[in-house]
Parts: sequence; structure tokens; C-alpha cells
Amino acid sequence: MAADDKTYEHLLDVRDLHVEFRMRTGVAKAINGVSFHLNEKETLAILGESGSGKSVTAQAIMGILDSPPGFVTGGEVLFQGVDMLKMPRKARAAMRGPKISMIFQDALSALNPVFPVGWQIAEMFRIHRKTNSSDAMKAAISLMEQVHIPAAKQRFKAYPHQFSGGMRQRIMIAMAIALDPWILIADEPTTALDVTVQAQIMALLKELQDEHDMGLILITHDLGVVANVADRIAVMYAGRLVEMAPVEEVYGQPRHPYTIGLLESVPRLDTKRGGVLPAIGGLPPNLLAMPGGCPFNPRCRFAVDRCRQGTPPPLEALDDGTRFAACWRVDDPEVADEAHRASEGDL
Amino acid sequence: MSGEVILEATDLVKYYPIKTGIIQHTTGHVRAVDGVSFQLHAGETLGVVGESGCGKSTLGRLLVSLENPTSGSVTFEGLDVYKQKGAAMRHLRRDIQIVFQDPYTSLNPRKTVGDIVGEPFDIHPEAAPKGSRQAKVQDLLDMVGLSPEHINRYPHQFSGGQRQRIGVARGIALNPKVLVCDEPVSALDVSVQAQVVNLLEHLQKELGLAYIFIAHDLAVVRHISDRVAVMYLGKIVEMGDEAEIYDHPTHPYTQALLSAVPVPDPTLRGSRQQIMLTGDVPSPANPPSGCRFHTRCWKAPTLDEKDVKDGVPAVCVNAEPELIEHPDGVSSHCSACHFAGELG
Repeated sequence: MAADDKTYEHLLDVRDLHVEFRMRTGVAKAINGVSFHLNEKETLAILGESGSGKSVTAQAIMGILDSPPGFVTGGEVLFQGVDMLKMPRKARAAMRGPKISMIFQDALSALNPVFPVGWQIAEMFRIHRKTNSSDAMKAAISLMEQVHIPAAKQRFKAYPHQFSGGMRQRIMIAMAIALDPWILIADEPTTALDVTVQAQIMALLKELQDEHDMGLILITHDLGVVANVADRIAVMYAGRLVEMAPVEEVYGQPRHPYTIGLLESVPRLDTKRGGVLPAIGGLPPNLLAMPGGCPFNPRCRFAVDRCRQGTPPPLEALDDGTRFAACWRVDDPEVADEAHRASEGDL
Repeated sequence: MSGEVILEATDLVKYYPIKTGIIQHTTGHVRAVDGVSFQLHAGETLGVVGESGCGKSTLGRLLVSLENPTSGSVTFEGLDVYKQKGAAMRHLRRDIQIVFQDPYTSLNPRKTVGDIVGEPFDIHPEAAPKGSRQAKVQDLLDMVGLSPEHINRYPHQFSGGQRQRIGVARGIALNPKVLVCDEPVSALDVSVQAQVVNLLEHLQKELGLAYIFIAHDLAVVRHISDRVAVMYLGKIVEMGDEAEIYDHPTHPYTQALLSAVPVPDPTLRGSRQQIMLTGDVPSPANPPSGCRFHTRCWKAPTLDEKDVKDGVPAVCVNAEPELIEHPDGVSSHCSACHFAGELG
């Protein structure tokens, strides 16, 4: 999998992506100019609440957006320098599996209930590599062992409903890494799981990432999971990236008011702060009726007139160029001061 | 903070029969709750944590008499809840109310918010005279942070966080003394979750409510609880003050559970010791013998005991540990483990 003469800068480069959903009730602009990149072997976490567009971003990259109603209306998704959005359908489909693959939150509905799990894993080899069934079966069993499914040989013929949630997630991971992809997108892989099983799955993902030298895009709303595995974090709000930086910097000194609020509002396990949690007031905006100006302004405690009038430019590079934020007041000392206090946890 | 005991559960057991075949004969039981005892003091919050299937929701339903127990009792202010009938039972139900997890399915989509929040008054007309009902409902909406003008709207017109506020308003309508909150914030986004937690804390201060706060999010439970009970397969394995449980856990399960929770602080990466449990929670229809945790316990195989069975001390396989204080100075709270002790 060695990349010899690299003609591209980043493994994956998403540039100014726009996605909208055309529905009878109106057009919902789910993604409004999202740009980010992923390097080889890197873990990028996309953090956001429901409706922020993080799953839609992943679906657009994978090319599995439900269309209609979803349409990619602009931008580029460069995989090793080649724009996947311009590829013919068939060529694009051939990339899913060997180049980029994805795992989903709900393994029970992502797996086919009427076929044995081993058969479903083996299908990856039969379809993409035209492997004959007995070799495909051997490969599937070895994959099941790789994701630590006990008694893989016996369980090859078991059906998805015969597995627990954690084991089903392992099967989906086995399918995703079957063809040794460059990039694995994990969309809320542990949200439906108990915390002790979540720890097992996250450890497995890390192990496989190192073994297969994969880039990992982890989509989640869990600030704890992100802190433990990500190299860089991209924070999404209302279809825009509002902040992107290396993980220590996002937690150590968040720069966007939304990130500041998010970090403050989570109760901590290791200390008891007591008192009122500093919650972000209000609700995430309705995509059909976005507020004017910065989409976060109705909930932002730092909002001034400028924030209500104009949308801040998407992700401007700050300081040394490794971190980005989309906020009019990002260099304001008042905001920076709050951010410092948020990270110290003494509010 | 804590006053006198108002709610006490003693040896509470709930088995659900497993029926198979055409004639539906009972072939076994799911032991959802299997011998749970605790006390709740007036005005305090008891957090109940555990993984899915540990029986924490069944416990909540038992406490509000939505289910009848297989055995055991619950006393509320000295009255045995399951022995009350008629008017006395109705009166008791006013004092113990519940808020459900899923704000999408626990509200009737065909009723207006006014009907939903006012419904408790239909069942308990003595709580509010007919003429004052609308005003009372509007007061309740105001108390939970919703606009009183929204009384004629339907649930689908509200967001998840707002719906949960409606559920809370319904829960406190009859001025209960105990509110059982069954995963009240699990379905909500992080930024909205904090709002609802704050609301619950505010209402507790205002109304002097006692909470049973059932959740799987250990950080939220720590924030809101005075005392915490940790459940595993239908039993409480450890119970004590919040600081005791979180800072000095003595049961291996609690220790593993706490270590598995990722902390939102990248600087702690690698420095936190993580105890990895293997496998999944066993089926409550066929729980392991002795200590129910012995099949997944990380500590038992490391112990240097003479009498060993299946790789763990025989006592873990044969004898069920009691939920007791361990007197030899290891802890000042209750823990159900033969070898309870803080992490070394």
C-alpha cells in the first residue's frame, strides 16, 4: 500500500462541499461550504450535534447520499488528488471498499438479516476481487478472527440477530476493512453500545488502524471518545465547520463560542463541579429557517450586531495555520478569555 | 440535604416469564430485578447506573407501580405501596411520578400539550378544581421553561429538549414527593442535555423533590446525584455517596465501568488506567452462579486463593456476595464483592 510518487497533497481533500435536501416543504441546506482534509494514518474527528450535517458529510464523501432528496450542489471531494464527485457511477462504486469504506451506528439495520454474517463478509471478496467461494470463506473467517470474534469458524454461519450489539459492530468493522481501505469512516460507531463495550470497540478500531495504516474519520457527538482517539477535530454546527484544530488545542483553548459552550456544558466524571451546568441556551436552528448572519448567533453569548448581519467567512486560518475558526469575534480578547476559563473548568 | 426516609425498597424482585411453544408454557424467567433494597431520603437524588439489561428501568417502573413485583416490598412514608387499594392507592400514585426516556414516544401525538400536562388532573380531580386547570397547566409550562402560550400546540411542534420539558411538567403536575427519572436526558443532544439537567436541579430545590435518577451516563449521574447505586444483572453491586463511588470504588465492576468512560481531556490520554472487560453482559434469564460478575471479573483471576474453580476463587462461583460495608477499613460504603477493595 506504499504510495510511491505522490501527486497529491492530502489523502482526502474535501473542498467547499455543499449539499441540500429538496423537499416538498422547502430546500434544506444541510452542508454549506465544508472544507477539510485527512492525511494518511491520521484520525480526524467530526464533532457535532444531531442535524449539524456530520453524517451527511460522510454520506456525500462515500457517495451514498439518498438522492433525491439529497443533492451535492457544489464542491470537490479529492481522493488522492482525483475528484470523486466527477467520476462515473461505476468507477465510484468500485472505490467503496478498497479505497474508502464506512461503518454505521446501527449494525443491526446495516447488516442483512437473511444472510449469515460470514457470507456477508465473504461477499466483499467475491464481488470486488472475484474470489471463489471457498477462498472468500477462508478470508472471511480470518477477518472475523482479526476483529476478535470468538469461535469464528463456528459463528461463520450465524445470522446477525444471533450476535450481541458489540459483536455485530465487530462484524461490520470486519466487512469495512476486508479490502484494506485507505480510509475508514466511522459514523457514530459506539453510540448504541454500553460503555464497557464502547471501550472494546474503540480499542479495536485503533488496533486495526495501526495494522492497516488507515486514515480514520470518526463522526461522533461524544466529547469523551474524541479526546481519547483523535489527532485533529472538526466541529460542525448547522452545516458549517465552525472550528478545526489539533485535539489538544480544541480542548485546551477552544476559539469558537460554540466549542467553548459545548465543552463547558458537559459534566465531568473525574470531578464534581456542582452547581448549575453552564448550558448553551436555545436550540439548534431549523435548516429550513436559518437565522440571518452567523447561524450560531441566536445562542451565542458574545453575539454583536456584526454577527447578526453577515455570515462569517468559512474557517479562517488562525495563528500558525494549524487551527481554524469561523467567527467574527475570534480575535476578541473577551472571547479568548472565556475560552481560557472554559478549558480550565473553573466556571 | 437528606431528610427522613420517604421511600424504601426491600428485597424487590421482578421476574418475567419466558413462554415458549403453542401452549405458551413457562420455560424460564428473565430475572430483571433480583433482590434490590435501598432507601431514599426526602429531597435527595439517588442515581442508578448500569449497562443495558441490568434492570434499572424495571426498577423504576416497579417504584411507580407500573409493574407489580414478584416479591419484595416498597414502602412510601411507612405505607406498603403494593398493598394499597382504591382511593389510598390513587393518593399514593400522586406522590410518586415518573419521567420517561424517549420524549418522542412517551407523549401522545394526537393530544395537545395542554391535554398531556393536564391529564393527571383528569385522574386526580381533587388536585385541581375544574375552573383553575388551564391556569395550572400554564403555570407548569412556565415552570419548566416553556411558553404558556404553547398550551394548544402538539408534541411534533416541539424539539426533543422541549418535549422532555413537557414530560417533566406532566411528572410534577400533581406535586409529587418522589420523581423517578428514567434516562431523562439520554435522547438529547449535549447542549440541550445540560439545560434539562439544570431544570431538574432547579425544580428539586424549588419543590423539595426526591429523585431516583436512572441513567447510563456516569458523568451526568455524578453531577446530579447525592448517592449512587451501581446495578449489574438485576442486583445493586455497590451503593454509597457520590464521592465515595466515583473516587473510591471498591467493586471490580464499578472500577471497570468508571475506567471505561472516556474523559473529555486529551491531556489524560494514556495516563488513565483502563480496565478492559471482555465479552458482553450475560443473559439475565440465566445469570452466572455465585457472584454474577465472576464471568467477566478482571480481579478474581488475579487473586491468590487456594480454592480455585474455573480460574477464579471458588467462593466467587459458589457464594453470592452480600451488599455490605466492608469493615476492615477499605470503604465506608456498601459493596457486594467477596474481595472488595480500592484499586491499588
